[in-house]
Order: sequence, then C-alpha cells, then structure tokens
Amino acid sequence: MIDIGREKRLDKYDLAHATVREILTEMKDISEIMVDLAYASIMFDSEEIAEEVKNLEEDMEELSKNIRIKAMLAARTHKEAAKLSSLLEVASASRRISNAAGDIVKIMEVDVAKRPFLGFILREAEEKIKRLSLAEGSDMVGRLIGELGVESETGMRIIAIKRGKRWIYDPEEDTKLKAGDVLIVRGTEDGYEVLRSYANGEERWPVYPEEEGD
Amino acid sequence: MDRLDEMLLELKDTSELMIDLAYSSLLYNNKEIAEEVVLMEEMLDELANDIQRRAIVRAMDDRDEGKAFAIIKLAVAVEEISDAAMQIATVTIQEDEPHPVIRLSIKDADTTITRAEIKPGSDLVGKSLGKMRLASQSGMWVVAVKRERKYLYGPDKNVVLQVGDVVIARGPPEAEQYFQDICDGKERLEEP
Repeated sequence: MIDIGREKRLDKYDLAHATVREILTEMKDISEIMVDLAYASIMFDSEEIAEEVKNLEEDMEELSKNIRIKAMLAARTHKEAAKLSSLLEVASASRRISNAAGDIVKIMEVDVAKRPFLGFILREAEEKIKRLSLAEGSDMVGRLIGELGVESETGMRIIAIKRGKRWIYDPEEDTKLKAGDVLIVRGTEDGYEVLRSYANGEERWPVYPEEEGD
Repeated sequence: MDRLDEMLLELKDTSELMIDLAYSSLLYNNKEIAEEVVLMEEMLDELANDIQRRAIVRAMDDRDEGKAFAIIKLAVAVEEISDAAMQIATVTIQEDEPHPVIRLSIKDADTTITRAEIKPGSDLVGKSLGKMRLASQSGMWVVAVKRERKYLYGPDKNVVLQVGDVVIARGPPEAEQYFQDICDGKERLEEP
C-alpha cells in the first residue's frame, strides 16, 4: 500500500544501504516539501500539517547524520575528502532549509488574529498554496498522480491530500486520487484555475494523440 | 496593502528564487549565477533587518506585540532560507568543479533544474512569459534568462523571450523533455 506519503521515505534499513547520492537527493526533496508544508500549515491553520513538518525535521536529522558518516567512509584521499566536504555543505544547506521550515511552523503558536499578514503573503506570492477538492464527476478520480502527470500538465504540485480524516503528505506518483479528496497544491494562479476546472469536472483531463492508440 | 506586507512578500519570493538559482549554479558550475545569489543574500539581509525594525516600531505605536512577534519570526526563518541558498552558492564559487554526485542528486530530485535555448520557430519567441502561461502549460518555472551576456534573474511575466535566449527553469523531471521541445520549436504551446 502506497497511500501514506511518509512510507516512501528512507527507513532505517534503507538508510544503512543508501548511497550518498540517494541521501542527498532525499534531503533536497524533503527540505523543499517542508517549506511548502510549513506555509500550508499556516495558510490553513492546520496543526496536523505542522506536525508533519516536525516529523520531517526529525527525519532530516537522521539523514544528515548518515550522509556525514557515509561521506567520511568514502574518502580515501585528501582530494576526495575535500570534494566530499563541499558535498556535505550542500547537505547542510538542505538541513538549514528544513530548520527554517520548522521555525515557520512555530508561528502557529502565535494567535491567528495576530498573523493576518501571512494570508496576504501566501495569496500574493508568485507561487501560491491553494486547496481544491475532487468532485465525483472529475476524470482525475481513480487515476494515479503520475499517470496524469499533474505537475507537468498544470504546473501545480500536489503537496498533500486530505482523505476523510487522514492526510497523505507529498503523495507519490502511484497515489490514486479519489472523489472527495482535498488537494493542497502549490503553483501559479492560472495553473490553479486550470487544475480546478479538471478537479470539479468542468473540463476533461487532456488526452494526447500518442497515448490514445495503445 | 501595507508596506510591511509587501516587504515580507519580497523576502519570501526572493528566498525561493535564490534556492533555485543556487542549485542552478551548482548544476552548471556557473559562478556568475552563484555570485548573484551572494548579492541577493546581502540585499535580503538588509530587507529582513528593515522588516524587523518596522515591526517593532509598529508594535510600539499600536501596543500590539503579538503581530510584530509573528512578523519577526517569519522574517528570521525566511532569511535563514536565503542563508542556506548562499551556503549552496558558496560551494559553486569555491570549487573548481563541484562533486559529480551533487549534480546527479539535483537531477534525481522531485524538482530539478533544466536549461534550453530558444530556437527560431519556438512558440515562445516574441511572447511574454505570462501570456504563454509557460509555468502552467509546461510545468517548468523560469528562474533565469540569459540574453547575450547578461542574465535576467527571476523574470516577471512581462518578459518577452527572444531567439537565442537561454532559459533556466525548475520543475519536475517528467516535464523537462516537453519544455526542451517547446524551446526548440518541436512542440507547440496551446494558445491561451
């Protein structure tokens, strides 16, 4: 079952076998989704999303520790050590971004009435965080995120899905969309409008000629 | 709309652009872009300080420390993101050639960086980024345009692309090929 976003994350076993390249990629991915989720948590005043950001921050600590160990073991010469040390700088920058996301979430502790400016910033930003729900009649229903190619088709990245009481964070390509899903998305205003027209069933999801035949 | 809100907005948008530019500088071993990130960081440092001062002044005026507290917390966190971008850019500046694994990781990530030259016959020629709705149509978000020798960073939607422009964009790896083909003129964009 692939429904829970967190399951895709490297677990302790994978981490022991993961390469420096895999861990660095993971750290980049997590740091970026954390920033999106952090803003989303404030935007929608969601304690649950905020909690996920805190969990991811812990995952980052673990990844950060592991990448350092692996880099040390990989260095055989002074030159290699120097190169790996700059790679660790990049890893450390990812962790810094994740810490910043953790700090953004702490703004939740301030009374909602005291942070009206946040809504403004998130609404006016070049890339916005928005929410939409999937209607019964949408042809996105029953299809996989990767099969639709939601991000390449609309420029909107799905950062989380609320399904009933459950949350799926940073959903995978093979996450199947269901009617009633609430999608938290990030992207431009016009991308949002396009995606919304598919999600509420007003427009059909585009089909391209090369896909029709087979 | 209030001046302080606008400043926070600029802080947020610029910090995100800086991260994209910092990774671009690493991927293409481009020291010029990396230097720009350093300049942006200096500018954001000042902006973040200014935001904090203004927030304090306002709290003193209207005796409401709560809002100022939230603004300061946000400014500090976002400034931290720009520091991280500078940390990445500094690797590009200091290394002759970044570790090859760094590039592979950027290419493997959920969000990657790509670049393409605008060829004659591309639908993008002579149209503004906003009009073509490039981000929503291709899934790729333009972070820089190189025209002749000059870079335009974080181009707004009024920027009109020309033949020979080199566009650096950020987006999902699945969208890369389509984006390249649009720039090449092999694929057409839907007219809005």
